[in-house]
Amino acid sequence: MLGYQLRTAAKSLRRDPGHAGLVVLGIALGVAVATLFSAIHHAFARDPVPGKSGSLYYVRLDSWGGDKPHPHRSGLPPQLTFRDATALQRSDIPARQSAMFKATLNVFPEAGQPRRQTARLCSADFFAMFDVPFEYGAGWDRKADAGPEPVVVLSREANERFFGGADSVGRRLRIEEREFRVAGVVGRWPVSIKFYDLTQGAPSPEDLFLPFNFVRPMQIRTSGNTDGWGGSAAPGFEGFLASESTWLQMWVELPTEERARAYKSFLDAYVLDQKKTGRFPRPLHTRLTPLLEWMDEQNAVPPETTAMMAVSLLFLAVCALNLMGLLMAKFLSRGAEIGVRRALGARRLDVFVQHVLECELVALAGGALGFGLAALGLFGVNSLAKAIVLRGDLFRLDLAMAGFAAAAALAAGLVAGLYPALRACRVPPAAHLKLQ
Amino acid sequence: MLQMTGVKKIYRTELVETHALSDLTLRVREGEFVAVMGPSGSGKTSFLNVAGLLDAFDEGQYLLDGRDVSRLSDAEMSRIRNEKIGFVFQSFNLIPDLDVYDNVDVPLRYRRLGAAERRRRIERALEQVGLASRMRHLPSQLSGGQQQRVAIARALAGEPRLILADEPTGNLDSLMAREVLDLLEAANERGTTVVMVTHGSECAARAHRRVHVLDGKVVEVEAAPSLVGAGHGLAQAVG
Repeated sequence: MLGYQLRTAAKSLRRDPGHAGLVVLGIALGVAVATLFSAIHHAFARDPVPGKSGSLYYVRLDSWGGDKPHPHRSGLPPQLTFRDATALQRSDIPARQSAMFKATLNVFPEAGQPRRQTARLCSADFFAMFDVPFEYGAGWDRKADAGPEPVVVLSREANERFFGGADSVGRRLRIEEREFRVAGVVGRWPVSIKFYDLTQGAPSPEDLFLPFNFVRPMQIRTSGNTDGWGGSAAPGFEGFLASESTWLQMWVELPTEERARAYKSFLDAYVLDQKKTGRFPRPLHTRLTPLLEWMDEQNAVPPETTAMMAVSLLFLAVCALNLMGLLMAKFLSRGAEIGVRRALGARRLDVFVQHVLECELVALAGGALGFGLAALGLFGVNSLAKAIVLRGDLFRLDLAMAGFAAAAALAAGLVAGLYPALRACRVPPAAHLKLQ
Repeated sequence: MLQMTGVKKIYRTELVETHALSDLTLRVREGEFVAVMGPSGSGKTSFLNVAGLLDAFDEGQYLLDGRDVSRLSDAEMSRIRNEKIGFVFQSFNLIPDLDVYDNVDVPLRYRRLGAAERRRRIERALEQVGLASRMRHLPSQLSGGQQQRVAIARALAGEPRLILADEPTGNLDSLMAREVLDLLEAANERGTTVVMVTHGSECAARAHRRVHVLDGKVVEVEAAPSLVGAGHGLAQAVG
C-alpha cells in the first residue's frame, strides 16, 4: 500500500510541476542555510578521535601557589610545569602518553630561504594516541624518544614546501642547528580544531613534530601560553625548566576504567609526595578530563556557531511554515479527487498518508538541492578561511551532514505538510462529488 | 439490502437550516433495481450520499445489509463503501492522470488485493463494459460514454452488492445513455442491487420500482408496469 501511495504522491507532483518546484525551492533554501551553519558547528563539535576519545584524558594538577586559586574556571592551571610533565611521563599505567608543547623553529631547506615553522614537541605515542594518518612513513618509536634521535614528522604542507610533496621519508632537513631525518609525512587529517592543544586559538596542526626530549639539548622554548607563579629558582634555561611556570599539555590514554582510577591515584600520590618537598601549597586537586569534556570546558565550539546554527534552524522552520499555505491551497483544490478516493474506500488515514508522502517527496528533492547549495556556500566559507587561517579544508560536508540535510528536509516537509494533509483527509467525501 | 427509517438530514449554516431529508423511509430489497426520481433540490442526492455512507444523517435509522451504520467509525464506513458499494456519478469522476486500468484499480488497491487478483478483476470488468482494448488510455482520450463505462467498470471490479448511481446518464447523449443503462441492467441481472437517481423517465423505466422524492420525503412508489403483480409492489417498498 505504501508503494501505491508513494506512486500516487509522485504522480500528483508531476501534475503541477510549477507548484512542486516552488515548494522544492523553499525547502532547499531553508535546508541550505541550516546545513551550512550546522556544518560549521559540526566541524568544531565533532569527535576528533572517533571510537577512542572516551579513553583519552587531559591531565591537570593544581601546582598553583598563593592564596587564590588559578583564574581558570576549574581553579586548575590548564597546563603542567616541565618538572611535573617529565615526572608523570615515567608512569607505566597509561597505554600511551605524551607531554607536549608548541614551539616555533627555524628550518633550513637544502634549497631556498630559511623559514620559521610551527613545531610540536611530543612523544612517539602522540601519533598512535590521536590516530594521526600518514601519507608517507610513520611516526618515530619510543627508542627515538629516549635518545633522543633526530627524527621529524612533517605536515603535508611542510612536505610540499620542502620536498615538493614527494615521499621524503629518510631525507634530511636542518632544523635550527641540527640535521633531522624525516620519519613520516602526515596525511589528510580531518580535524578542524587543534583539539590536543586547546590552550590557544590556532586551528591548524603544526608543520613539524619532533621528539619531546629535544627540549633540553636544543633549549627549545614554548611559543604557546605560559602561566606561572613564584619566579625561577635558577637563572637561564635550566631555571625556566625548574620553575613553577606551566606551559605543557599532557595527554594519557587509559583504555579501562580501572586504569583511569589507578592513574588518578598515581596523580594524587605524586602531588602528596611533592608536597613533602614544599611544592603544591594548595589543597590536593588533580583532574583527568576526557577529551570531549575538555573540548566542552575549553569552549572548543565557539558559542557564535551554536547561535548561528540555532538561527538557521529557525529560518528552516519559517520556510516550512510559509510553505504550509501553498500546500494547503494545493491539497484543498484537490477535493474532488479526495472525494472520489474516499467514496471508493480510502480511509482518512490513507488520504493523510498519501498527502504526507507527497510533502516528504518534495522535501527530499528540496533537501538534495539544499545540500548542493550548502556545498557551494561552504566552498565560499572555506575560501575565506584559507585567506584568514591558511586552511581551506576546515568545513566539509560528510555523511553525517548529508544525514542531517535529509532529516532537516523531512522535518521541514512534515512541518509544512502535516496540517494541510490533516485538512485534506477531513474533506467530506460528498462535498465535491457532485461539483466535478 | 438497504432500509432507511425516518432519516433526517439537515444542512446548517449560521443563518439557514435546510432540511434535505425529512423522515425519509425507504426499503430496497436485495437484487432490486430502483430509480429515485424527483425535481432538483428534492433530496435525491442527499439520499444517495447518506445511502452510500458519504454523508452522515441527523436522525433516524439506516440499516445496510442488516447492519446499523449510524455509529460506525471512519475506517469501518470506508471498508463498507469499498467492499459493498459501487458508485457511478453523473460526471464520471475518473482521476484524470490515471489511465483506464489504474482508475479501475483504485478501489481494489484500498481493499489491499494482490496484484494477480486485481489484474483479473480489472480485465474482467473492462471486458464487461467493452473497453478491454483501452486499458492504457487516459480519461481525456475517451468519449463521455466511454468514461462512464470506465466508471461502471470501476464500480463492478469491486464486485459490490449495491450500486449507487447518481444521474449516470445525465451528461450523455441518448445512444450512450442506453449503453450505460444496459450495463447497469446487466449488473442487476447478475444479482447486484442498483439504486439510481435520475430525472429521466426513460431511465427510470428500466427500474423495477420508481421512488418519487419531494422535500426530502418519499411521496410515491410505483412499480414498473411490467412488474406490477410480480412481487415488487408498493407495500414492499415503503417500510
